[in-house]
Amino acid sequence: MKTALSYIVLCIISFLSVFPLYYMLCGATNPSIDVIRGKLVPGSYLLENFKTLIEFQDLGRALFNSFRNSLLITLFTLLICSIAGYGFEVYHDKGKDILMSILLLAMMLPFVALMIPLFKMFSAWGMVNTWMALMLPSISTPFMIMLFRQAARSFPPDIIDAARLEGLSEMGIFFRMYIPTMKSTYGAAMTVTFMNAWNNYLWPKIILQKNESITMPMLVANLKSGYSVDYGMLMLGVLICTLPTAIIFLCLQKSFANGITGAVK
Amino acid sequence: MKKRFLSTLLSAVMTASLLAGCGGGGGNTSATDTTDVQTTQTQEAETEVTASGGEETLTVWCWDPNFNIYAMKEAEKIYQKDHPNFKLDIQENVYSDIEQKLITAAEAGDYSTLPDIFLMQDYSYSKMATNYPGIFTDLTDSGIDFTQFTAGKVADSTVDGKNYGVPFDNGAVIFAVRTDIIEQAGLKAEDFKDITWSKFLELGQKVLDETGCPMLTSSGGSELVIMMMQSAGASPMVDGKVNLVGNAALEEAISIYKKLVQSGIMVDYTDWDQYIASMNDGTAAGVIQGCWIMSSIQAAADQSGKWAIVNMPKLDNIDGATNYSNCGGASWAVSSNCKNVELAQDFLKTTFGGSVELYDILLPNAGAIASYLPAGESAIYQEGSEFYGGQAVYADIVEYANGVPAFSYDAYYSDIRSALTDAITNVVQNGADITEEIQNAQDTVEFNIGG
Repeated sequence: MKTALSYIVLCIISFLSVFPLYYMLCGATNPSIDVIRGKLVPGSYLLENFKTLIEFQDLGRALFNSFRNSLLITLFTLLICSIAGYGFEVYHDKGKDILMSILLLAMMLPFVALMIPLFKMFSAWGMVNTWMALMLPSISTPFMIMLFRQAARSFPPDIIDAARLEGLSEMGIFFRMYIPTMKSTYGAAMTVTFMNAWNNYLWPKIILQKNESITMPMLVANLKSGYSVDYGMLMLGVLICTLPTAIIFLCLQKSFANGITGAVK
Repeated sequence: MKKRFLSTLLSAVMTASLLAGCGGGGGNTSATDTTDVQTTQTQEAETEVTASGGEETLTVWCWDPNFNIYAMKEAEKIYQKDHPNFKLDIQENVYSDIEQKLITAAEAGDYSTLPDIFLMQDYSYSKMATNYPGIFTDLTDSGIDFTQFTAGKVADSTVDGKNYGVPFDNGAVIFAVRTDIIEQAGLKAEDFKDITWSKFLELGQKVLDETGCPMLTSSGGSELVIMMMQSAGASPMVDGKVNLVGNAALEEAISIYKKLVQSGIMVDYTDWDQYIASMNDGTAAGVIQGCWIMSSIQAAADQSGKWAIVNMPKLDNIDGATNYSNCGGASWAVSSNCKNVELAQDFLKTTFGGSVELYDILLPNAGAIASYLPAGESAIYQEGSEFYGGQAVYADIVEYANGVPAFSYDAYYSDIRSALTDAITNVVQNGADITEEIQNAQDTVEFNIGG
């Protein structure tokens, strides 16, 4: 009886979570007017929507830019934050806790408060419209450093000592002992960073000023800017924009859960 | 030794992260930069940033490929006939992002990222020109003949007697009516033409009783009330002072709004998409909105021939009340960063400020209705539109635009709108007293603007 009840509750919750995705799929395959009228059955208008989408927007470039930005940002973030997190935990220094507190305080500042100073700084350095300016503010976040520091806490110090005795260099310990044990933490961090980088809108829009720098979220925003919106095309745009993050999450789901709950078993 | 080296390396990485990272360090550092350094480096940035390749290239920011981007491309073609080297570099930016970028640039004191020309919503001109005058190039003496545009429209982009924008699309208010629905109540579209709101309530009730269909749909908030105020020229700001208390048109407008909602003659949606749906799926028999709503109405191609356009009802017993109002519309501005102001001015003057040919292309292909008066006289505006049962809707709309009374928000468009939205919600949903709510709205706006 209890199981039946929980199944019913779970069914309702799953329905509620899956319905928007289903609706998006229906929207992408129907003409705008049917989306407006609330048609809930998939249609056969997908190709037409796709044609309109690529006619008005540079979909290929947006996808390419989004993938390139997100992958590079993810790579650098993982590298820098994991070294930092590891360093914070393994090496001892008087100032490190104060430094960590300052870092954590920085986490409390909303991005909008930093945006104008950041823009001013990059524009003074002549870096507006450069990839460096896009990436630098994203590749080291207090949250990631904290995540890796927590993970490093569960990394047994004995292994480090043993490795040192065996003559492995400090960098060697990090790359050859630490990284392989922390796969699930990296998986979790990768999922979060990739999603954030993929969905980031405001900063890329401010710092990259050319049409050629368009990313997927910017493309979706463009679709909704006119006096009359083509909802079929919009839904298709949203669908394409959502797919990569959804796929990455599904692939890394297991390590994401492990990484968040604790890395070393 | 190695260990020490590694610690130093890690500290260096940390410092770098603090500087560039999400942390506040980066921002603070920049604030202390010396002006000298900034100026020289800004100049470097300038050459890199602006996409003006040749001498005759202008960068433009606007946002709708079907509408204003299309218009700019057509204008480019027309200008190229006499200026073969001329080119536009059109950058697609959502309007809120254009405003965000302008504000970021102005706050950072670095205008080098601005384009040569940008499109700005009319309601923002006053706010932006008052708060960030450094963004614009004054167009008053540019040789553009502003008397050729509808006066109300020019007034929107004029701040302190200076013209900052070349008018583009028309935002004249229309009342679009589903003729097939009102026919069931024995009415014709003409019955709704040149009427007052009390007559409208009577006819709307009749339609509701006979067909069960509400006469109007609304997107909620204060939009309709503000349209009514403007139709009587009752500005919410007069001589720099908030003019809500004692504004007879406002009081009358809110009381009509209340009656419309409570009688069921109007359905109210807070969600824009549902609002659009209510026109397309026949939930309501009409809508009062800026004429740009026509593209959304026409999206339901199967309703062709079932719509007609009339002017909006006017307020009873209010001095200066008319059947005309305005909602939305945008104008082209030349930025202060424009490298070739003469070229930009000449381009705008020859195209949007002087080419009937351009507007003749824009009307059928983009549905952009001109605020340029000579364009309204062109033959294409007199043609009947099949979707509206053969009515010459565009000529009618240009005529409506001519009748719109001048109206001023000063720089406080959003403050006034949100205060009025609160007032209207309280009156309609909580049965609050209209006079009291208007007083509250006045107090809120005055508090917000520090007056």
